[in-house]
Amino acid sequence: MRLQLAKQLLDRQIVDRDGRLVGRVDDIAFAIDAEGVPYVDCLLSGHGVLGQRIGGRIGRFLVSIAERFAEEVPVPPRRIPLAQVAEVDSAVRLRCRAADLPPSPTESWLRRHMIDRIPGADHARR
Amino acid sequence: MRKLLAATLGVLSAIGGFVDIGDLVAASQAGARFGMAHAWVLVVGVLGICAYAEMAGRIAAVSGRAVFDLVRERLGPRVALLNLVASYLVTVVTLAAELGGVALALQLATGLSYLLWVPVAAVAVWLVLWRMRFALMERVFGLAGLALLVFAVALFALPTDWVRLGHEALYVSSAGAGWSVYWFVAVALFASTVSPYEVFFFSSGGVEEKWTAADLADARSSVLIGFPVGGFLALSLLAVAAVAYHPSGTALNSLDQVARPVATALGGAGLAVAVLAFFAVTFGAALETGLSAAYAVAQYFGWQWGKRVTPREAARFHTVLLVSVLLGVLMLLTTIDPVQLTEYMLVLSAVVLPLTYLPILVVANDRNYLGDRVNGRWINLLGAVFLLLIVAASVAAIPLAIITRMGQ
Repeated sequence: MRLQLAKQLLDRQIVDRDGRLVGRVDDIAFAIDAEGVPYVDCLLSGHGVLGQRIGGRIGRFLVSIAERFAEEVPVPPRRIPLAQVAEVDSAVRLRCRAADLPPSPTESWLRRHMIDRIPGADHARR
Repeated sequence: MRKLLAATLGVLSAIGGFVDIGDLVAASQAGARFGMAHAWVLVVGVLGICAYAEMAGRIAAVSGRAVFDLVRERLGPRVALLNLVASYLVTVVTLAAELGGVALALQLATGLSYLLWVPVAAVAVWLVLWRMRFALMERVFGLAGLALLVFAVALFALPTDWVRLGHEALYVSSAGAGWSVYWFVAVALFASTVSPYEVFFFSSGGVEEKWTAADLADARSSVLIGFPVGGFLALSLLAVAAVAYHPSGTALNSLDQVARPVATALGGAGLAVAVLAFFAVTFGAALETGLSAAYAVAQYFGWQWGKRVTPREAARFHTVLLVSVLLGVLMLLTTIDPVQLTEYMLVLSAVVLPLTYLPILVVANDRNYLGDRVNGRWINLLGAVFLLLIVAASVAAIPLAIITRMGQ
């Protein structure tokens, strides 16, 4: 796959097989193969990762929010292996379902401590 | 037949999305102070919002993405974050003003202080957001908002001098109040006509309702009928205030004064309809601003958003929604007068207008998202001219607010 990483991959919306929104490509992790050639290993997602990428005071603020609403600190980024990417157009489309990926720590935290406690949280409106 | 019905309902939601507390306050105040001299602002505003809502709808239908979903990949995370913070704050202040409007409408209906109604209104708004279907929600409040037509009817019962109204509209004068105040009021009225949340909501709503390129014609007709009808309602508010208050030079600074001429003209029944209309348009706009605030945040971070999935599957989205409503309540419980809050909200909206409208124009010309459905030459010309007006209003808003001391 030939891609301009910064232009076509970074900051794109990640969408799963069923159209669920998974997150954004907040950063990209590289790895180095046996011959010393770097390659794109995973897409990283989560506002902690985004905070580290932006840096500065605003970045630290985003990281601290990510840590406030998480069960474990430091919050590990969500890693999406490049092998799961089916297609890149106006969004990054995955082969798998969102449920097969590690869940977002903030989403899980807020679900457990807030939204699930409100009656009617699992009613779909449509 | 079903298609016709669907189109009608789309129009209704566009009308509901157009008129809100900003129009109630700004249009009536403009009418009371300057007669019909600001009518042209409404016409220009409607023309502009039609052009931009059409672009936003087209982007949603063709790319399946809301406009602000695309801002971050076009502008980068830092600039987009700045845009997000500014838009979010203004949208939450707008939400607070709309909640205040709901509470004031309830005060008019019951005689109990609006402060008692603020928490009730907020809980009701949140419950509707939590439980009601998206399409139903849009239509109920759009339809009820049409009750504002009572203002147009009242014009015929009032001693309206039509020739004079026409004259005031065509031969603009500052009515002895000074041109800086005239332009301050013009900027506020303009901001109320093209409030940023309207396009946020319109484009995200298109994605929620899964528009495709096949729905483009429907989307276009909703815009081209709905917004002008909304503009007509705002124009009747302006005209009623012009007839009732302009000749005597009475200052208008409460919602109760906005409704009073209707009561004079049509009696208690008219007043009841007017109060129902106030309730419907502010409640509908409170829903839309709440959703818009949460859409903006969720789309920046790429979270699951919208009312299609259960709240537990969009926990972050629903948390932001809940927090935004709470922030609105807190703002009102400082006992700031909701009408005054609306005036400040309009100035702030005017300042951030370019942040909303520039990205739409940029994306609507991007073949990566729109293919061959990018803007044509004429709509680009219209969009560019309108963008100049928006930038002028944005730059002028704060200086005018200071010079005129918020239009005193």
